[in-house]
Amino acid sequence: MAAVIDLNGVSIGYGDSAPPVLVDVTLSVERGSFVAIVGPSGVGKSTLLRVVAGLHKARTGGVTIHQDQRPAHRPVGLVFQDARLLPWRKVVKNVQLGLEGLPISAADRLRRAEDALKLVRLDGYARRWPYELSGGQRQRVGIARAMAVDPDILLMDEPFGALDAITRNNLQDELRRIHRETGKTILFVTHDLEEAVHLADRIIVLGGTPARVVRDVKNDAGRDGAVFRDQVEKLRLEIADNYSI
Amino acid sequence: MNTRTSLSLSALGVVAFLLGWEAVARSGVVPAGLLPSPSAVPTAFLAEVQRGIWQKMVVASLSHYAVGLALGTFLGVAFGTAAALWRVWDAFQSWVVRMLRPIPAIAWIPFAIIWFGVSEGAASFLIALTVFWINYYASYSAVRGVDKDLIELGHAFGQGGLIPRLFKIILPGALPGILSGLRAGLGQGWMTVVAAELFGISGLGMRMMEASGLLATNIVVLYMVTIALLYGVSDFLFMQVQARVLSWQR
Repeated sequence: MAAVIDLNGVSIGYGDSAPPVLVDVTLSVERGSFVAIVGPSGVGKSTLLRVVAGLHKARTGGVTIHQDQRPAHRPVGLVFQDARLLPWRKVVKNVQLGLEGLPISAADRLRRAEDALKLVRLDGYARRWPYELSGGQRQRVGIARAMAVDPDILLMDEPFGALDAITRNNLQDELRRIHRETGKTILFVTHDLEEAVHLADRIIVLGGTPARVVRDVKNDAGRDGAVFRDQVEKLRLEIADNYSI
Repeated sequence: MNTRTSLSLSALGVVAFLLGWEAVARSGVVPAGLLPSPSAVPTAFLAEVQRGIWQKMVVASLSHYAVGLALGTFLGVAFGTAAALWRVWDAFQSWVVRMLRPIPAIAWIPFAIIWFGVSEGAASFLIALTVFWINYYASYSAVRGVDKDLIELGHAFGQGGLIPRLFKIILPGALPGILSGLRAGLGQGWMTVVAAELFGISGLGMRMMEASGLLATNIVVLYMVTIALLYGVSDFLFMQVQARVLSWQR
C-alpha cells in the first residue's frame, strides 16, 4: 500500500527556547488506514496533528503529504474537539467553508456540501443555525465540513472527547461506517485507549519526556470481548511505563 | 415579562413623566417663563410647522447627522479594525490616539469654523469626530475579541488569506461588538448635532439658540422633544436592523 503521509524526524516545541515536547517522530500512514495516536495529555498529540495540517511549524523534520491529482480538493480535512462551527453561517454554509476558493461552481459547492451532510446523516438540517443543533449534531457537521473538501487525509483531534457517552458511542459507530464507505485515510488523536482500540487498525503510543513514539501496533482486537480488553490493558501498561513526571 | 406588558409599562412611564411635569408647571411653584408646560408644546409645534421652520430645521439637522454619522462610522470601524489587526500599525498610532482621544468634539469647534466656515461641512465634521472615536474603540476591542480558534479554523480550511480571513471570519465575528459601537454613536451623534449647530449652522440647535434668546421656552422644549423623537426613531430602526443582521444569535 502507498503512503499518504510521511513524517520524517519531526520534533515539536512551543516558543523558541523551551525544550521540545515531542521528538523524532518518523512514521508513514498508509492510504485507507485508520490510525489512532494515543498518549497522556501534554504529550503533543494535538500539536502533531496541527503540524500535519500545516497550522503549526515543526521545529525539525518534515511532513510530506502525497496528494493525488484529482481536482478541487484539499490535502487535509480537520475535525476539532469543539465542533467549531461559524455561528453566523447556516449548517450548509458551514460545510461549504473549505470549498470556497476551490475552482468549482457554486452549484457544485452546494451539491458537495449536501452530499457530505447526507454522509453524516444530517440531510434535512442544511438550513438550520448551529445554535439549533445538539452537541453531537454539531460534531457531525464538523465531520461533514472536513469530508466535503474530499481530503487525502482526515485529521481528527479528540473529536468525541466533549460528548456524553451515548452520543460518543453513536458517533464512533458512524465514523467506522464512514471509514468503511469512503475508504478515507484517518489520523485520529485521542487520550481514550478504549476509543482507540475500538476504532483504529493501527495505534501509535506517545510517551516519555520529551515524548517520542514508544509503541506502534497493529490493532485487530475487535470491538469488545476479552481480546479487546487485553489490548486496552496492554496499552495502558505501556503508557504507564513511559509516563514520567 | 412579555413584550406587551413591557411596552405598556414604558408608555405608562412616559405618561407619568409628562403628567408630573405638567403638574409642576401649573402649580406655580416655578415661574412659567422658566419651565413651560408640556401642553404648550403642541401650539408651538403648529406655529413652527405653519411657518415651515420646523421641517427646514429637521431636514438640515438630519443631513448633518447622516453625513457625519456615515463618515465617522466608516472611518472609525476601518481604523479600529486596522489597529486591532496589525501590531506594528497599532504601536505606531497608539500614542497619537491617546493624545487626540480626550479632546471633546466641541473643543474642535474653532478649527471646524476656520477650516469649513459656518457651514454644513463644519457640523458634519464635528459629528463625524464624535462618532469616530466611539466606533474606533468598539471595533478595536470587537476585532481583538474574535475567537482565535475560529481564525485557526479559517487557516485549516483555506481561508487564511487576508481577504477571506477578514470578511469570512473576523468581521462577522466582531459584528455584534461593532454594531453596539454603531448604536452608541447613533446617540452621541445627536448630542453633537445640537452642540455643533448652537454656533449658527442652520438646524435644530440653531433654532433652539434663537428661541432661548427670545425666552420662547416652549419652542426650546419643542425642539428638545423633536431631538428626543428623532433619536428614538433612529435607535428603534437600528434595533430592527440589528435584530435581523444578528438573527444567528440565540
